[in-house]
Amino acid sequence: MASLAAVCRATARLSSNPAVGARAFTSSSRCLAAQNFTMPALSPTMTEGNIAAWNVKEGDSFSAGDVLLEIETDKATMDVEAQEDGVMFKILSQGGAKGVQVGTRIAVVAEPGDDLSSLEVPAEEKASQPAESASKGGAAASQASSSGSSQPQSSAVKTSGGGSYEHKLPLLPSTGHLAAQKGLSQEDLSKIKPTGPNGRLLKGDVLAFLGTIDAETPAAISSRFEKLGHLDLSNIKVAAPPKKEEPAKKEAAAPAPKAPVVENLEINVPVSLSKVVEVQNKINDTLGVFLPLSTFISRAADVANADLPPASRQPTAEELFDQVLGLDKVKAARGTRGVYLPQISAITPSSFVSGPPSKKSDIIDILTAKPKKRASPPVIPTVPGLSSGANVFSLVVPKAEEERAQVFLERCKAILEEEPGRLVL
Amino acid sequence: MLASRLIPRYTVRPVVARSTLPKVVSAPALSQWSRAYSASSDEKDLVIIGGGVAGYVAAIKAGQEGLNVACIEKRGVLGGTCLNVGCIPSKSLLNNSHLYHQILHDTKNRGIEVGDVKLNLANLMKAKESSVSGLTKGIEFLFKKNGVEYIKGEGSFVNEHEIKVALNDGGETSVKGKNILIATGSEATPFPGLEIDEKRVITSTGALSLEKIPESMLVIGGGIIGLEMASVWSRLGTKVTVVEFLGQIGGPGMDTEVSKTIQKLLKKQGLEFKLNTKVLSGDASGEKVQLNVDSVKGGKEETLDAETVLVAIGRRPYTAGLGLENIGLETDERGRVIIDSEYRTKHPHIRSVGDVTFGPMLAHKAEEEAVAAIEHIKKGHGHVNYAAIPSVMYTHPEVAWVGQSEQDLKNQNIPYRVGTFPFSANSRAKTNLDTDGLVKMLADPETDRLLGVHIVGPNAGEMIAEGTLALEYGASSEDIARTCHAHPTLAEAFKEAAMATHGKAIHF
Repeated sequence: MASLAAVCRATARLSSNPAVGARAFTSSSRCLAAQNFTMPALSPTMTEGNIAAWNVKEGDSFSAGDVLLEIETDKATMDVEAQEDGVMFKILSQGGAKGVQVGTRIAVVAEPGDDLSSLEVPAEEKASQPAESASKGGAAASQASSSGSSQPQSSAVKTSGGGSYEHKLPLLPSTGHLAAQKGLSQEDLSKIKPTGPNGRLLKGDVLAFLGTIDAETPAAISSRFEKLGHLDLSNIKVAAPPKKEEPAKKEAAAPAPKAPVVENLEINVPVSLSKVVEVQNKINDTLGVFLPLSTFISRAADVANADLPPASRQPTAEELFDQVLGLDKVKAARGTRGVYLPQISAITPSSFVSGPPSKKSDIIDILTAKPKKRASPPVIPTVPGLSSGANVFSLVVPKAEEERAQVFLERCKAILEEEPGRLVL
Repeated sequence: MLASRLIPRYTVRPVVARSTLPKVVSAPALSQWSRAYSASSDEKDLVIIGGGVAGYVAAIKAGQEGLNVACIEKRGVLGGTCLNVGCIPSKSLLNNSHLYHQILHDTKNRGIEVGDVKLNLANLMKAKESSVSGLTKGIEFLFKKNGVEYIKGEGSFVNEHEIKVALNDGGETSVKGKNILIATGSEATPFPGLEIDEKRVITSTGALSLEKIPESMLVIGGGIIGLEMASVWSRLGTKVTVVEFLGQIGGPGMDTEVSKTIQKLLKKQGLEFKLNTKVLSGDASGEKVQLNVDSVKGGKEETLDAETVLVAIGRRPYTAGLGLENIGLETDERGRVIIDSEYRTKHPHIRSVGDVTFGPMLAHKAEEEAVAAIEHIKKGHGHVNYAAIPSVMYTHPEVAWVGQSEQDLKNQNIPYRVGTFPFSANSRAKTNLDTDGLVKMLADPETDRLLGVHIVGPNAGEMIAEGTLALEYGASSEDIARTCHAHPTLAEAFKEAAMATHGKAIHF
């Protein structure tokens, strides 16, 4: 990761009055205007690098964000940016220098406005810096170079290949502990790329930053978790088509798969619409409104559908289990609404207003008939259509719903033959 | 009741709207009428097929998100397998049979002397039923509270947007949905050649409501379901033998070390195990049900018999009668509905979650997916972290795990570090005189990031929540160890195992 700039810098220069502020902030004798600029560690594993080129010359001023130099490592070439304004005082390792150890002084920089002619070049700091001095936060951390080890210290220059990360707080206990123990400042931590879920900084990230473990390990583990975190939808083997065909056919044969054999039953009830026609005419005469027969029929069907007895059928496995649980008593067995619509065909298409003379007995027959008798229903000569006289209302239903359908048709009949007026008034 | 309230909307309105029919209508036209019904019913934002854990959670969540939602369930009660014939009733039986077993065998050394202990199986079942009915009622209440329309019946696809419902009370209706969620769950896989009658040859469903305590029971399949049911009836006095094809009990996901530990403990409780054994055939015609078994390697054929045989060889997706073929939806070779990472089938507005599709068949996984699917519909993003889904087996002691097992890591050549802590070194377990088991943690040797937690021991099922949380946050074992755990608790064993993983446990 290229975020690990160990490049030195007087972080004390945060004050609005740099020269005074910087010196007032710290008691460190190293906080001179001229600062050593050392070879940065651009990744936790980097020990040395080549200076490709300097982008500034001695005496040049630079401001924050300017690229000071380019460094080549075995992995990549990266720009090193200045984090704050300054002046290049001396370049000690010229462009093209190979194998410069991390932490070696490569230049000396001064604060903007410093008189370069009167500045001294500070001694190179080879000795390692106590980590604690850096942990006090940016303002106090003013030492100019990182230690001989690759342990990063506070820095003024960040590499453009890296980034700054704002970590979710609070830190995990292990992470916070490790940071405190190793003297990592907020600033250091912000350079560590988090690999945890939702960008959380993990112990492994800090260990990798410190160079204790392989830099790639945390990311590798995270990508493994990322993979585990998703359903494995690769290599789906679609079921063989012939296997699918079979159930498809079965379903086609039996719309209700729980009951493979559904015998459909036609139930017929003759209904006279003469009373309806009477009412229709009456309304037409008195109100001048013509109501079609279908209105009466649909409204009668609507009323008749209410609260029908439930279909008799074999109890399902679920219902049996409900019985075991005693839940059947909770679900009170009572009537439910049906969704039947009768099919209507006229008995005698030519005779308009003819009562159902011989049909009367048939009705009673049908009303009282047992299912067995229904096997040979009375053959009534019918034609498709609707007659204003006698009609046959019929329903085709599964055998299990016979009683339900029968009740429905009887109700239709009763409503239409007795009080059709109530349907519209 | 809800169902009856909904139908008038489908019936009345279209009928009235069509009242300008001519005076004489031909019969075929009339029959078309009834088809016109459903077509003109208003379209729902979401129609869910299945009122099990996946379906009902999705329904409630969708209701909360302000979607106009209907849920179709044919069982007649909500909650699906889990609430009615799965997790919930089995836990009732497990808890109460454990209590009974403990009173019988484990009170004297605690200084409690009990007299005559009798088991009333009918009341034991009644206790279970009241738990179940209370919970299923609760869901029905939540449906009402969140404005979910509840259709009792069996749904099947007519086309990509319309579902016809054969109502439980007779009759038929149909609903249309802008989005449709398939959450039809799973059913017990039958054993070929043995017909399930739920009396002598039973699945977990029958095992939850046996009318008498069988003298002997053979359990085909030593997975979680098999072992839980085996535990119940063994505690009540049945002689139970578990026949398992694999070399370990608890299923392939259970850590081998943990599996061996629990096998030892269950054996002590009286369960017999036949591992690496396949069942060749079964015969239920005689007085006792017979099974022909053989070693997986062959050559050790023998016949076992028992009063009852429990078939617990797994569960399979349930899509019968759903009419998937009507909309050209394919399943994979194991019958799972094929989905993408956002739970979409090849029709993007039809999604599928839970047991009927991919992933582990667990109620809590289905629940997570249900919420994620609704979030996809409503917000365009939802996610389930499949790396942190816990599994629990409610035997005594319980077994629970989350993340990867040691054999998983070994097989994939992933380096790991192990830390264990036995409950025999835990103060609370000691005072409870319940010290069987251990906590085992697996972590990355370099970063210390937690890879898996495996627990066998008292309350493992509750304790695994901490491991799941840790995995979810990418914690290291040190993070767990640095988190204060109350004393004296069983959870301290969890902390100590974490300490043992990256350093040393204090108390072991």
